[in-house]
Amino acid sequence: MKVVFVEIERCIACLSCERVCLFHQAEIHQGHAANIFVHVDMDHRRIFTATCRQCEVAMCMKVCPSGALSRDPRTHAVVVDKNRCIGCGLCVTACPFGSVQLDGIQRVAAKCDLCGGDPRCVQVCMAKALHFGSINELAELKRKRTDLKLCIRAMHWQKDADHEGEDGN
Amino acid sequence: MREKTVIENGRVRTLCRMCDTRCSIDVHVRAGILTDITPADGNPVNQGRMCPRGNAALDVFYHSDRILKPLKRQPNGDFIEISRDQALDEIAEKLQKIKDDFGARAVGVWKGEAVGFLQQEEYVRRFAHAFGTPNYFSNDSACFNSRFLGHYLVAGFWNPFPDYSRAGLIFLFGTNPPVCHPPFMSEFADAKARGANLVVVDPRLNPIACYADIFAQPIPGTDGALAWGLIHQLIQTGSYDQPFVERYCIGMEEIAAYARKFTPQVVEAQTGVYADVVVQMAELIRKNQPWISFYVGAGLEHHENGVNNIRALAILACLCGALDIECGFGWPETLNRNDLTLYRELPLDKEKPIGADLYPVLYHIRKECHSMTAMDYMLGKGEYPLKGLVVTGANPAVTNPNIRKVEKALSNLDILVVNDLFMTRTARLAHYILPAASYLERSEVHINHKHQRVFLTTKVAEIPGVCDEYRLWKDLAWRLGFGETYFKWENETEVNRYILEPSGISLEALQARPEGIQYKPLCYRKYQFQPLPTPSGKVEFTSSYLKNLGLPAIPEYVPPYHLRHTNKDFPLLLTTGARMTLFYHSRHQNIERFRQVHPQAVAEIHPDDAAQLGIVDKQQVRIVSEIGSLVIQAKIVHKSELRRGIIEVYHGWEDWRINFVTFDHITDPISGFPLLKAVPVRVEKP
Repeated sequence: MKVVFVEIERCIACLSCERVCLFHQAEIHQGHAANIFVHVDMDHRRIFTATCRQCEVAMCMKVCPSGALSRDPRTHAVVVDKNRCIGCGLCVTACPFGSVQLDGIQRVAAKCDLCGGDPRCVQVCMAKALHFGSINELAELKRKRTDLKLCIRAMHWQKDADHEGEDGN
Repeated sequence: MREKTVIENGRVRTLCRMCDTRCSIDVHVRAGILTDITPADGNPVNQGRMCPRGNAALDVFYHSDRILKPLKRQPNGDFIEISRDQALDEIAEKLQKIKDDFGARAVGVWKGEAVGFLQQEEYVRRFAHAFGTPNYFSNDSACFNSRFLGHYLVAGFWNPFPDYSRAGLIFLFGTNPPVCHPPFMSEFADAKARGANLVVVDPRLNPIACYADIFAQPIPGTDGALAWGLIHQLIQTGSYDQPFVERYCIGMEEIAAYARKFTPQVVEAQTGVYADVVVQMAELIRKNQPWISFYVGAGLEHHENGVNNIRALAILACLCGALDIECGFGWPETLNRNDLTLYRELPLDKEKPIGADLYPVLYHIRKECHSMTAMDYMLGKGEYPLKGLVVTGANPAVTNPNIRKVEKALSNLDILVVNDLFMTRTARLAHYILPAASYLERSEVHINHKHQRVFLTTKVAEIPGVCDEYRLWKDLAWRLGFGETYFKWENETEVNRYILEPSGISLEALQARPEGIQYKPLCYRKYQFQPLPTPSGKVEFTSSYLKNLGLPAIPEYVPPYHLRHTNKDFPLLLTTGARMTLFYHSRHQNIERFRQVHPQAVAEIHPDDAAQLGIVDKQQVRIVSEIGSLVIQAKIVHKSELRRGIIEVYHGWEDWRINFVTFDHITDPISGFPLLKAVPVRVEKP
């Protein structure tokens, strides 16, 4: 199953994903908010980006009393049927990650639907922080990066050791 | 609108021209209608991604406000549609009359950014000289040129795009590259993943600074002092690249002597950056030599000491030995191609180009006239009158400083012709408006110096009655009698063929490879086997060229205007020009969905300043300078987002033109650039 995932260390908070998501929501679902969230914490100078994880056991789907949330058989995304949604907000309460929200004007649940299998946010992520693939690819990327970091650190240790030798002479 | 697409169904691969980074895109066509734009693979510039602006090319192409017929202004101010032939006949007749009465130099041409690069610029330069006028103006005289000159005077070249991904230390001055140039983002992330250090020097906190090892918010216009302080630190500790400097640089003694007075304490007093932070920056530079990307943004050039501040930073880069290396200050090798300009065939230096007497460096090196001085010539205050102007894709009535004067000057012209896609503020003042072709309707050669690749963009569609840039200048040239000699090519494809002739790359080869062809392998440290393109053939810490013109030979630091002339009436500093991701200067404001994100102009203000002035968020305030004022909504930002005492307003708004407030009389003596980043203002409650 493919999901949108974030390689958080690469995100530079250009907000492009939020913007195209907003445009897409407005065009397709007449929505009014983006379903990917970029947060810049100015106090601590930190960036955090998140979107729906399309959980295997989706709490939002489980609690929905009207059956408005279901799994798209093609993309495996949890999608909202606007006509069945009663706007109770239980899915918002149930989601542990805050990835489901209530559209402020339509008063129905809104969440990431993977744009039907070709997520726009990933297309516009020029930092390549967003990926569309299996979550295990993220694990692989992390492993690669950790290896690289260890290599570089080892090189620096070597360099510093060399310098110390020079100074001593 | 009945557009004709080149194919009925399918995808056409071309380059995006919504900004100047030029990413590869696929334009989707279905049943003769352009339906979507998606990023294309294979181009190292964008690597299969695209920014949200890319998609908006379709909104521009199909926009209901697009000008599709030539318009002529009536005496009562209305515009009526006329035929293209009639429009061009009348324009040619009027230009010819000005030439007969006042000489060819009474006509100017002005190139802007709304339609494109390279050929567009060269068509305009070619037309001007073929007509007999040296007066070529462009948007570059208020953006880009200062940075170019600052680096050019030191090393003889500048490639504005370093390869950040290979840097050990990225040093950013007054810039927000992820927003200005979206493809840089992945390079930053790569560098970061490899453990690169980052130093950001900017009065405004952009998200990139979240990753900075050192983030400093200096007083605007004092970057020169910081640069000299760092130079002093490097020299004092002996931690510069001595073999490189001895072999390839001249003027070391002079700069060492001058740098001596910039102790960290002096730098702190000038810039507001703490002395120990300066020492730490120097330490980071020492540790990462020479793998440093110094990137200077537009934030440094809009000061009256801009070029010299930038020169000092270029010298700093050379002291580190960071010249023509993988991660920066590259020496671009250009494609061996035919040039369309006529500077060799028809030099017009004796015709007194506007501004060449005041800013000789700008004219000598860039062959550009000074657009701010042109306003005086239009108003009859110059040495000779400027009576006619042909503008293509530029919007000086928004983006030039002191627009009250700009509007007065443009209205004073006998003939103003504007070639553009939309009814801009400038077009509203025109006598004739011609419909311009968007980049989807043109085929042009593009060169990317960073990757040393040449591209050919593909024409995707055509709108009957809308002609490409070449046709515009060609049709005017034929009517003015020099078409036969200088605009003899049938169409833009023939021009492309001519441009590529000496390169050894055929037009057909480029057509088959829309992702571009690398024309030369990237080669570094070329200064080791060939002299640098400076007068002395070496890196010039001291410039004899500038000395001969009566300017200081080394980039002496002059405190900025607002520190030399403190004025109690204008206690705050206005800075304009911080970029927005969705707009490109004054473009794209008419795209409806973009306006959902940026509904109106705001003046960013520090919470402490707002508290002192009694201003609340979203309140209307009036920004007043010596020459003008503007009412605008205040936006109180986070306390670390701006340095205290600074107001920030975006420069390109058509409906909130901040350039009513900015000056055109305080300029850089080398480049003639206006002061846009530190305008003394006060904020009032209206």
